Amino acid sequence: MFKYKTSYRTDGGIGLNDFKWTWRGLSLVSIAATLLLVIGFIYAARDIMSPRGTSYSVEAPQNTAAPAEESGILKVAAVGDSLAKGTGDNTGEGFVRRAVAGLSADGTKTELIGNLGINGLTTAGLRDKLKEEGVQYVLRQANIILVSIGGNDLFQGAQRMLNETEGGTDASRKAASGSAEVQAGSGGSEGAAVGRAAVPGGGSSENAGLKDLNPEQLLTSLPSASKRLEEILSSISDINPQARIYYIGLYNPFGDLREMLIPGNQAVTSWNNAAMDIINRNTGMTLVPTLDLFNGHLGKYLSSDHFHPNGDGYQRMADRIVQAIR
Amino acid sequence: MNSLLPLIRNECMKIIKKKRFYVILLILVVLVPMFTYAQMRSAERNRAKFSSDWRLELQQQITDNENSLSSSRIPEEWKTYRRVFIQQMQYYLDHDVNPNEPSGVTFTREFLDNSISLFIPLMIMAVASDIVSGERTTGTIKMLLTRPVKRWKVLMSKMIALLMFVSLIIVSAFLVSYLISGLAFGYSGFNAPVFTGFQLSGDSVDMSAVHSVPQWEYMLMQTGLIWFVSVVVALLAFMVSVLFRSTAASIVVMMAALIAGTILTNMASAWTSAKYLFMVNLGLTNYLSGSPAPIEGMSLPFSIAVLSIWGIVSVIISFAVFTKRDILN
Repeated sequence: MFKYKTSYRTDGGIGLNDFKWTWRGLSLVSIAATLLLVIGFIYAARDIMSPRGTSYSVEAPQNTAAPAEESGILKVAAVGDSLAKGTGDNTGEGFVRRAVAGLSADGTKTELIGNLGINGLTTAGLRDKLKEEGVQYVLRQANIILVSIGGNDLFQGAQRMLNETEGGTDASRKAASGSAEVQAGSGGSEGAAVGRAAVPGGGSSENAGLKDLNPEQLLTSLPSASKRLEEILSSISDINPQARIYYIGLYNPFGDLREMLIPGNQAVTSWNNAAMDIINRNTGMTLVPTLDLFNGHLGKYLSSDHFHPNGDGYQRMADRIVQAIR
Repeated sequence: MNSLLPLIRNECMKIIKKKRFYVILLILVVLVPMFTYAQMRSAERNRAKFSSDWRLELQQQITDNENSLSSSRIPEEWKTYRRVFIQQMQYYLDHDVNPNEPSGVTFTREFLDNSISLFIPLMIMAVASDIVSGERTTGTIKMLLTRPVKRWKVLMSKMIALLMFVSLIIVSAFLVSYLISGLAFGYSGFNAPVFTGFQLSGDSVDMSAVHSVPQWEYMLMQTGLIWFVSVVVALLAFMVSVLFRSTAASIVVMMAALIAGTILTNMASAWTSAKYLFMVNLGLTNYLSGSPAPIEGMSLPFSIAVLSIWGIVSVIISFAVFTKRDILN
């Protein structure tokens, strides 16, 4: 250190000759770098403050080509609501991953292309999602498409009418904000999913909410929702005509409440019938029934939110799906 | 002016002699491979999961973010961030452009983006913090001031030398990151398109001004913004170095300010007047990539203005103090 100190004191003295070239290089490089950086800064400031606004001219290439080549590999994609996502399953697998595991159990090569399940999605929401390029891309890569949708339409009943203008996400956000009434009344999977921690104490308010949920109300949304379901299924098969579509039927999550058992079963059955009707009119689609899997065993197969299946429930659904695919 | 040039040269030589710049290079050479390796591992894992198709991966990312939006446990400003992210990624998907095309250039872009508010300022402090206080600690300041040179010239030469090294530090951060990550990800990718011009208004993103630029152009703008931030940080550290007698104290003061900045940007959205603090405004590249600013009401002109004022004031204070103060110690 001491040696260095002596050399700082004088600017023309010892040591500096050695640095002549270092200094030249250093100053030139740093001046050039500074100039470049200043140009970059000015350029950036101009670009951000007054963007040129020339939109990306290259048209979105439609990668319709390359639907999964038939090589014996099962490529599974899932779209839909919280059931597709696997809400309520402590392992987070849901029926999608469990079905994939079931399919590959005997050595069939099975890939999960993507699980696009979104909590609280309704038929209207899914219909809009299917217009997205990314979603279509995922569906095009698959040869087995699992669809789970409708539960939120059916069980939101009257609540959904109120929130019609606000749209699905608002409704679910409302439910998520912690109002037990909305959660129970709408039966929205969203509210149920988020409120899992909060809900167990709220059994009485759940009953109160459910009293308003009479079968007529459950069914008011059926005609329009089943029409949307038809649009969804046919647009999926337009997106990927080669894939087989498996629609997961609804079950009645409120069967353990005496006043909801019969009306709930009726509503779910008419929904499933409407879905069956659509599916029968199209080739390449299959309905996987689940009503019988849960009826009478709700305590065993539903998670603590009283709406979504638990791990065992999802396993039963997955077994069904595997049977349908094979 | 004639007498200023040798002084600047003298100061540059001191910085080199003290090996500060080598320490910075060494830090880069040690850390960048670590980041590269981490990035490589996560890329490998995603490739296994998504059969090397970035579109599937991106769509899954979008879906996951959409799902997290409905959770009530997530603070509102994170949701805003995610909504913006979803819309931008959607835009990339719609235009069939991979936002994370794996290459050394993309890695460097991300690395610089993440280092603008803490890592690069820290490296600049390594040079700036002892540039004046170091002379006082060792006592060499007396030698410097007994020569027939005006005090402001001495200080000016130190400042210019510092600014020269600021540019060198940014360029070497870029070069080291590019050269090392290129070993793992390849050296191409300068022409890959990047979208910029996302204009945010609350939750929604205005796509009307979005345009694509080649990645090299994006990085030119990015490093330009980093340069501006670095100059301001350098000037502030310079002032602190003038004000404090010991190098350690001046490093601690600047470090505290910078770290406070990163903490504040994560939680200060409720305290809106924090936006006048310099350390909250360091993330200028966010305006380029279209990430939401930490506090509402911040924009690029605003941040540039705030940073400029802080920078100018610190220069004024530095010169006022340095030319007036008795150097006795």
